[in-house]
Amino acid sequence: MTVSRDDAVNLVSTACRHLDDENWAAFLELCDPAFRYRIVVRAPEVRREMIWFDQDYAGLEAMFAVVPEHLRRLGTFLRHVSVGSIEPRGTGKVLATSTFQCIHTDMEGRSRLMAAGRYLDEIRNSADGCRLVDRQTILATRDLGVGSHVPI
Amino acid sequence: MTSRSEKDWAAPPSLPATHYTHGDIYRSDAVFEEEEERIFKKIWRFACHESEVREPGDYRTAEYAGTSLVVVRGHDGKIRTFVNVCSHRGARIVHEPAGNMRNFTCFFHLWSYDLTGACTSIPRPEAYKAQSIDKSKLGLREVKTEIRYGLVFVNLDDASEPLDAYLGDALEAFEHVLTDNDLEVFTYQHATIDANWKEWQETNLDLYHEYMHVALRKTQIDPGAMNQRELKVYPNGHIRGGGSGYSANYDAYSGWAKREDSKALRGLTANDFRFTHIFPFSSMNARGTVLRLSVFTPLNAHQTRIEWRGMAPRSDSPEDWEMRTKHYNQYWGPFGRNVPEDLVAAELCEWNFGPGAARYQIIAREEGMRGQDDGFLRAFYQQWSKMMGRPASQPAEGAR
Repeated sequence: MTVSRDDAVNLVSTACRHLDDENWAAFLELCDPAFRYRIVVRAPEVRREMIWFDQDYAGLEAMFAVVPEHLRRLGTFLRHVSVGSIEPRGTGKVLATSTFQCIHTDMEGRSRLMAAGRYLDEIRNSADGCRLVDRQTILATRDLGVGSHVPI
Repeated sequence: MTSRSEKDWAAPPSLPATHYTHGDIYRSDAVFEEEEERIFKKIWRFACHESEVREPGDYRTAEYAGTSLVVVRGHDGKIRTFVNVCSHRGARIVHEPAGNMRNFTCFFHLWSYDLTGACTSIPRPEAYKAQSIDKSKLGLREVKTEIRYGLVFVNLDDASEPLDAYLGDALEAFEHVLTDNDLEVFTYQHATIDANWKEWQETNLDLYHEYMHVALRKTQIDPGAMNQRELKVYPNGHIRGGGSGYSANYDAYSGWAKREDSKALRGLTANDFRFTHIFPFSSMNARGTVLRLSVFTPLNAHQTRIEWRGMAPRSDSPEDWEMRTKHYNQYWGPFGRNVPEDLVAAELCEWNFGPGAARYQIIAREEGMRGQDDGFLRAFYQQWSKMMGRPASQPAEGAR
């Protein structure tokens, strides 16, 4: 089964909305059981690429379960995503490359940019519909302030 | 009476002056300027790890006390530090945080300096002859630089005591970890937060706040082992936390796995946790398989920039590198479980100390320098008070 551009745009957008809403279960429903989520960044300070986050499906599930127990930055996040290229990756798979901005809005209603970067999403289509197989988030922003307990 | 009136709220706590701090020390620009002169420009501060300037020409920048610095390894193998300012018109010479160079050349008028800081070239120098300007007297400003166990420290004060005298034995808990593992920086991050630098440092020194961290509650806090935690205070305000009371049980946190002793850094076991803080900005934390070096920079009275370096053996296989990255990120990464909580805590204190709503801070826990004693906080403020020439419990002249 092929993955159309509309399929890819809808999946990436819906995944972002579920993360914005902190609807972890709905986000995981969009992920293949073999899903892996990595956040990488290249730091000129050490002249190498670093991994700041790396979880598989089970790891994400466990992490999301304890989010309510953590002290977190108050407010909400909004991910503005723009899907760019869609490239075939074998039968029934594509690589969708998007740019994103993640905006934090605090309890006073003030919004400011927290992070910008690219999503590289591998998407497959099969009988159960389109699913994320792999997400690599390449952060341009390296100063994330207080950071985050959930993926960007 | 359960709540307090305006008068009672403003009254100092009925405690020894060593056991509380005054809110003005977190909010006053005047206090910050005084700190800059009396503390920041006088102390030895961690700048980078020796491995970051491994080859001749390798450089790494650092910033503190409003001063941009560049640490560089010379062609003679010696590590030196210079103020990152051209002698000519004050332009910043090195712009990237790390790299390699044969010599320093200012972008503006191409004045050049060798890696010992000597000015070696001025384009068309004949026009300076009338004013007797001589390039031999126009070298870069060199900053005192000394190294202990691979840690490069700098001091802006030419008259400061030697690093060895400043540190004393404070790095004893990390000697083997730092010298037996052939370490390099494998991960780096920094963060700017809206908090006074002391509010940030208190999250490092306050042992009682570990209840705030769910990861610590689940992996590390054993009320029965509190008296096995060792708190040691060294001269000059340095501190060390260690002992078997800090042993961690990683698989008690959902989604984390046990750590193997075979993967521990030399000098540690997999479940060891220990830390040392070098007054006032530099620290080391070890968690069995990973070591973290931290340093922070006060930007003004209400903002602080923190840097963290994760250290691992150079000889790590790709699998070990991946394992160490995972272990490091679990607690300390920007998406980790602990550090974001500490950063939020510092900002939430700033919300109240910054505008003046919070008047005093109580640092009065006494457990015989074990468990969750506030002795580290008192030691920090004792040194702060010594260098500032007045107790942290007293508002500064003109501070309000």
